Amino acid sequence: MFWLQLNRVVGYWPVLLKGLGMTVALSVLALLIGSVIGFALGILRAGPNRTLSRAVGLYVDFFRGTPFLLQVFIVFFILPQVGIELSAFTAGVVALSNVAGCFIGEIVAAGIQSVPAGQKEAAAASGFTRAQQMRLIVLPQAVRVVTPSLVGQFVLLIKDSSVVSAIGLLDLTRSGWMIVQNVPNGLLVFGIVGLGYFVICYPLIWLSRRMERRGQAPVL
Amino acid sequence: MIEFTDVHKWFGSLHVLNDISLTVTKGEVVVVCGRSGSGKSTLIRCINGLEPFQKGRLVVDGFDLGSSSVRLRELRMEVGFVFQSFNLYPHKTALENVTIAPIHVRGLSKAEAEVRGRALLEKVGLGDRMQNYPHQLSGGQQQRVAIARSLCMQPKIMLFDEPTSALDPEMINEVLEVMVSLAREGMTMMVVTHEMGFARKVADRVIFMDRGAIVETADPETFFTAAKSERTRDFLSKVLHH
Repeated sequence: MFWLQLNRVVGYWPVLLKGLGMTVALSVLALLIGSVIGFALGILRAGPNRTLSRAVGLYVDFFRGTPFLLQVFIVFFILPQVGIELSAFTAGVVALSNVAGCFIGEIVAAGIQSVPAGQKEAAAASGFTRAQQMRLIVLPQAVRVVTPSLVGQFVLLIKDSSVVSAIGLLDLTRSGWMIVQNVPNGLLVFGIVGLGYFVICYPLIWLSRRMERRGQAPVL
Repeated sequence: MIEFTDVHKWFGSLHVLNDISLTVTKGEVVVVCGRSGSGKSTLIRCINGLEPFQKGRLVVDGFDLGSSSVRLRELRMEVGFVFQSFNLYPHKTALENVTIAPIHVRGLSKAEAEVRGRALLEKVGLGDRMQNYPHQLSGGQQQRVAIARSLCMQPKIMLFDEPTSALDPEMINEVLEVMVSLAREGMTMMVVTHEMGFARKVADRVIFMDRGAIVETADPETFFTAAKSERTRDFLSKVLHH
């Protein structure tokens, strides 16, 4: 019986592969866009402008403090009511990038704050502009400090992407739902789905742990 | 080159600079000493705008630091600053530490900056350390890189904020030697230090500060043998004892 079911699940490999592709596409896009958002938010959060820093803090806390599923629903079901109509894929990428940006922003801000004040002083004393101080002196040091945490965050991002199956995107999780309707063995089907996530995430977990043990990221 | 006129600065209710008037001319070497908390570091940090002040006038190389439109960046290109804790960039090699500002602030090409940087690292005795990162260098070596880093901008004025205070005793001299040769080449320098031997050797003037005010200003000979103020003599008896 088990072997028969396994055989049938494996027969659905094109669906699984498609789901896996969607999960990877969502994650990679959200990772890229979320990193851009995250660095921008982090720089503002750690910046000298108090008002801006607090505003960013509030924004970030809002998205860190509400369920991601709710955010997906807001983007997909509520934005159209104010005239912003997004496809399920775009909505998924938007929601996922935004929440990733919020988490990455907090990590980046912490990294920037960990760079000693003397570094900024030395850079200022050399005549660098604020932007140059950030780009040439502060960020490279901050990135090294936070790389292990960032990689860890990427793992969470990949797993969070499963939530967007709720708005009908055929990602890895939803492909599991589809298959389980034909092969009534949830443990088996979702075991295989879980394995799919694990295969993507484990190398990142391993990398993050290795970098943490070394105390810093490799020189890129 | 540097002209303080009745400058005052407060940290909250603490009066850290009290009515400072002081003129440093081109090529002059001025040593500033005093107990910790006397305002001597604050004094030289005002000169390149690292610290603001609330009252008075301070003009450095034609830049009026009191005015709100002062172009701090342009001023800082002409004023080198050496910190007590070196503050080298840990992610850059010695040579990169020295060349990064000339490249990005002065707009030199990488090749030009490296020619200049190599010559300066040779000059401070670190010709064989150019590719080392700061953490691979001793304190004395790091401070010499920091001096070369400031010099590579070809500043008109060099400020030193207790450059040897964070160093082990055996490394102090290698840093002082670099500073002595710089002074002898005619650099305009203000040096906050407790190294009285250095003051004797190269200073044109020695200033003693106490509670934010300049208590004594004299040439080294007079300063060390015939200080007028009781507080200066008391300070000297403590630092010259060992």
